[in-house]
Amino acid sequence: MSSSGYGQKEKVLSRIAANRLQKELTEWQVNPPCGFRHRVTDSLQRWIIEVHGAPNTLYEGEEFHLQVDFPEHYPMEAPQVVFMQIPPLHPHIYSNGHICLDILYDSWSPAMTVSSICISILSMLSSSTVKARPPDDDQYVRNCRNGRSPKETRWWFHDDKV
Amino acid sequence: MESEDEMQDAWAGTSDDEFQNEEEEDEDSDALASDDEDDESDYGFGFNDFQLSTRRPQTIFTVLSEQDIRQRQDEAVATITNFLSISPADAGVLLRHFKWSVSKVNDEWFADEERVRANVGLLEKPATSKRKNVKEMTCQICFEVHPFEKMKEPRCGHYFCEICWTGYIHTAINDGPGCLTLRCADPSCGAAIGEDMVLGLVSKEDQQKYMRYLLRSYVEDNRKVKWCPAPGCEYAVEYQAGVGSYDLVCKCGFSFCWNCREEAHRPVDCETVNKWILKNCAESENMNWILANSKPCPKCKRPIEKNQGCMHITCTPPCKFEFCWLCLGAWTDHGERTGGFYACNRYETAKQEGVYDEAERRREMAKNSLERYTHYYERWATNESSRSKALADLQLMQSVKVDKLSDIQCQPVSQLKFVTDAWLQIVECRRVLKWTYAYGYYLPENEQTKRQFFEYSQGEAEAGLERLHQCAEKELQTFLEGDSPNSSFNDFRTKLAGLTSVTRTYFENLVRALESNLSDVDISKGAVKSSNSSKASGSSKARGGRPKSGSTRSGGSSRSGEEMAHWSCEHCTYVNTTATSSNVCIICGYPRS
Repeated sequence: MSSSGYGQKEKVLSRIAANRLQKELTEWQVNPPCGFRHRVTDSLQRWIIEVHGAPNTLYEGEEFHLQVDFPEHYPMEAPQVVFMQIPPLHPHIYSNGHICLDILYDSWSPAMTVSSICISILSMLSSSTVKARPPDDDQYVRNCRNGRSPKETRWWFHDDKV
Repeated sequence: MESEDEMQDAWAGTSDDEFQNEEEEDEDSDALASDDEDDESDYGFGFNDFQLSTRRPQTIFTVLSEQDIRQRQDEAVATITNFLSISPADAGVLLRHFKWSVSKVNDEWFADEERVRANVGLLEKPATSKRKNVKEMTCQICFEVHPFEKMKEPRCGHYFCEICWTGYIHTAINDGPGCLTLRCADPSCGAAIGEDMVLGLVSKEDQQKYMRYLLRSYVEDNRKVKWCPAPGCEYAVEYQAGVGSYDLVCKCGFSFCWNCREEAHRPVDCETVNKWILKNCAESENMNWILANSKPCPKCKRPIEKNQGCMHITCTPPCKFEFCWLCLGAWTDHGERTGGFYACNRYETAKQEGVYDEAERRREMAKNSLERYTHYYERWATNESSRSKALADLQLMQSVKVDKLSDIQCQPVSQLKFVTDAWLQIVECRRVLKWTYAYGYYLPENEQTKRQFFEYSQGEAEAGLERLHQCAEKELQTFLEGDSPNSSFNDFRTKLAGLTSVTRTYFENLVRALESNLSDVDISKGAVKSSNSSKASGSSKARGGRPKSGSTRSGGSSRSGEEMAHWSCEHCTYVNTTATSSNVCIICGYPRS
């Protein structure tokens, strides 16, 4: 569980952010996205989510953990979403847990939710045809050694097929 | 992508504006002409006119203030609003998408309106009708329920509450200029968020930021407009038409090259300047030692800080040794009056000739390449500091000294214009001279004839400028010190004005020769001389292509008439007036031949 010390400023949630998260959590409890489970903690600002690989995909039967950290001005700013150890072997997921997925960065919209992020991530996993790390994994992970947040990376979104 | 024609077409719709510009240009060239033919005309234009009058630009630029830019943006929006019968906010969205090109908006819109609407996010029919009876709604961002009046949508039917819209736009504005092409907050929707919605929601501070980005987009998206690179300057410069030099003077007084946005560097081209600046960065470590601001007096060894502009240094009493700052040699070897000649610009002379044994040769060669560079760099840098010193002196002259001089010598300020003229000329000459060293550094060693001619001309230029600088700096001092009018003030006036005019002509010719890469040198040595002295014919040829500068041409012809009443001293090249001295040069005392 090494992915806690990212450089993001740990500012408390704004009132709007806290309200919205509370509502998202309530909605999640009533209607959780299929294949995900929110692990109950005492923090509203950091969610730990269990991910279950979908049946009939490369990840069937496997379990992963997502760590979602919310910024002060969520949902105007995107949350920071990373896989905790050990992240799935996937061409868009780095071995340090960083995920190359546009909606987490440039294409974030405040009308998205944790639930919609989860569905996107599961869809990304499910459409994978090969279990492999990204080709630049070593280099990227080395560059992130000082605890850089994936939100500080200038992502270049390779393709939307996988 | 965008052709020049097209850019010019961009303003076809705003013909008033165009006419206005042309009028302004005419006024400018009139001002130029009057400077050329009549030195006594009222100044008050500062650097602008001076620079223009020495450059004779074939390239036309317009300096735009923020207000001008805003006005043009407003005009473009008004034109599109009219032509396309759409709202000003939609017109703004279109113009920003098509980089403020009115013609491009028109072309694309009338070619395929539907595709343009889809690309920029302007939805045709508002999707609001079905919501008529709704009293309250849940905002899909904050998940709160709001009364319907508090909900907003950018004509796509994606309602969010005002607070969330404000937060969304605020975040975009603080992320940068991307806020100008903001789309609906719904991830699947591309509806454009127009200026009206943005400004209607956000705080004053955000409004200002947004308007700032809007203003900047006009310059930064447009290849024909660039910001003046001077720190703190808020003007932009638009390229209008023409070819040739890109040097221009912004209204802030900073002169720069429009093409590479470095400081003005005529007669050297952008590529050379780029190489030179890069080289200076790379060599700066080696340069530190030579850049030390002081040198020891070659005679008494006391450290001397150069605090005046010219290279002729006199050590403080009791030593009073006069020497050249560049080579530290005695000034008696430099000035014509003492029988010497100015040669500090020549690398060959500066290099000590010695007999090398073979073992030392390779070490010498490595050292020589640095020494060669050092030679040019030092002279480049020294002229630059001389230039900034002269600029400061000029400002002091304009703000304080001219008034003082006017008091002491009982002369109206309008009669003292020749002093500021001299300083303006010095500033410009120092700038040119500085860049001739970059030119010299890159002039191939094997082009012997060109090198010789270049070094000769540069040396002459430098010597002439030293004469002028010395006169404007030191001789003027005597007239500032007394408390009653000095009878020789009129002689001083004649001398300084004469030196200014001689130096200006010389530098103009030098710049022209270097810009043509000394092409005359190849033909024959004789050709060089004739082109160098036939100023009047050369300049009128250069202007001939532009019909509008007719008034400027008359300036040239009046000057050639003026030359009848002058004669050049063969010894020092000073142009004497027949009226004041018909037989003996007033500068060096040599008889007229």
